[in-house]
Amino acid sequence: MDEINCKQLVELVTPYLEDSLDEPTLDLVEEHLVMCDWCVDYVEQIRATIGAVAGLPWEPVPERLRVAVAAALEERR
Amino acid sequence: MPSASSTTLPDFERLVEQHYGSMKRLARTFVASDAVAEEVVQDTWLAVVKGIDGFEGRSSLTTWVFSILTNKAKTRGVRERRTIPLSCVGASEPDEPAVDPDRFQCDDDAWPGHWATPPRPWQRPERRLLSLEARDHLKAALDDLPERQRVVVTLRDVEGLDADEVCDLLGLSPENQRVLLHRGRARLRAALESYVEGV
Repeated sequence: MDEINCKQLVELVTPYLEDSLDEPTLDLVEEHLVMCDWCVDYVEQIRATIGAVAGLPWEPVPERLRVAVAAALEERR
Repeated sequence: MPSASSTTLPDFERLVEQHYGSMKRLARTFVASDAVAEEVVQDTWLAVVKGIDGFEGRSSLTTWVFSILTNKAKTRGVRERRTIPLSCVGASEPDEPAVDPDRFQCDDDAWPGHWATPPRPWQRPERRLLSLEARDHLKAALDDLPERQRVVVTLRDVEGLDADEVCDLLGLSPENQRVLLHRGRARLRAALESYVEGV
């Protein structure tokens, strides 16, 4: 394979971001990204998605759990 | 004066809050109801508080907590005869492309496999994706993911565990872990795209 298309690139984004592509494939991805702003946008959107998931607010803790943990901590003292 | 062990205790109240949603989501994949999942989360924290002195720091505290949770949830799941073969994904799973194939040019077009309907850049995503509405949208999309994708995305991208830790916790091969993460992230991107383009 001497080059990849956009459809192939979007399937390589996860190992690309994990830094787990073999060298020849990494070269293909990087060569494609130099040529293709649309795929650069796609990769940026995946990055933004990961960031947004990481930034989701914490979910409310039931009072029962809070009380149980506090009691267990009290018991340690 | 506080004893040495009490001064080095982590801030449990904060940890419980920080991890509650993810812990419940993970537990829920092994047991049959939200109520039982909540019990598993509670049992886990009680075990963590009790056993914290034995925590040797060979993994992160988060990973340790999630491994206790997984064990407890599995035990409950077996008792309820609900065991999810979380590891059985891959070859048998139907192909799920990251992007709708209709968005690429087909073989008769000038540039087969290249974008026909390319993604439109998100302006200032760090601001737009932080709105309350965007977060609700994303949270709903996460809840809608197929279970195994949801758990892997939660552990990787919400909790920040690394790929090896997630494979260990869930008994997944590296390839399966990657496929689930890939598909889950792709679905969430698509959900955010439709949100961003709809407003």
